[in-house]
Amino acid sequence: MTGKFSIIMYSGTADKFIPLGVLAQAAAAMEMKVEVFVTGFALLGFTKQKQDIPFPEEFKGMAPKVMEGMKKNKVPSWYEMLKQAKEMGAHVYACSMMAGVMGLTKNDLDPVVDDIVGAATFLQHAEGGQVIFI
Amino acid sequence: MAEVSVDARGAACPGPITELSKAYRNSHVGDTITILATDQGIKSDVQAWAERTGNKVLEIRDEAGVITVRIQVLKR
Repeated sequence: MTGKFSIIMYSGTADKFIPLGVLAQAAAAMEMKVEVFVTGFALLGFTKQKQDIPFPEEFKGMAPKVMEGMKKNKVPSWYEMLKQAKEMGAHVYACSMMAGVMGLTKNDLDPVVDDIVGAATFLQHAEGGQVIFI
Repeated sequence: MAEVSVDARGAACPGPITELSKAYRNSHVGDTITILATDQGIKSDVQAWAERTGNKVLEIRDEAGVITVRIQVLKR
């Protein structure tokens, strides 16, 4: 593998989960070492007990049309894309501080999450590569 | 020297490049991989992919929206 691509996934709205899936899968296909650090409100999208991920207020008008277009073009869900990325070697870690705040343990999180780690671990893994914040 | 063919027609970006990556992982040096796609992004993506992975784009052909790309595996 050449290069590293790390994503800090913070936002908890549906519009932000789309680029998470696309970029994680694309980077993995580019043979990059991909790591996703899930923190903040995004962690609510990674619980075993599925919750509705809302669109933000300003996108609510156009959201149905976008979702319809995505369905028509057979764009997989963010979750399917992230799973594809994982099949190609990507890793997903949940933020220990935020997991604590939300009262979540490893057992409460979707199996797509590899482990719960601290911010320092993520920074150490990400060093020297590209990092984006969503 | 195998000839592998991947049909990613109808798959949206980054589906086609993902299918290429999967075929590449099962390939050997000297193999040729052909990808069929309808997402226009594959034309530039495949060049970026080849540059990153050290492989060679032999051909990119666009016929009425169906794009055929041929790759030669130089590195594994």
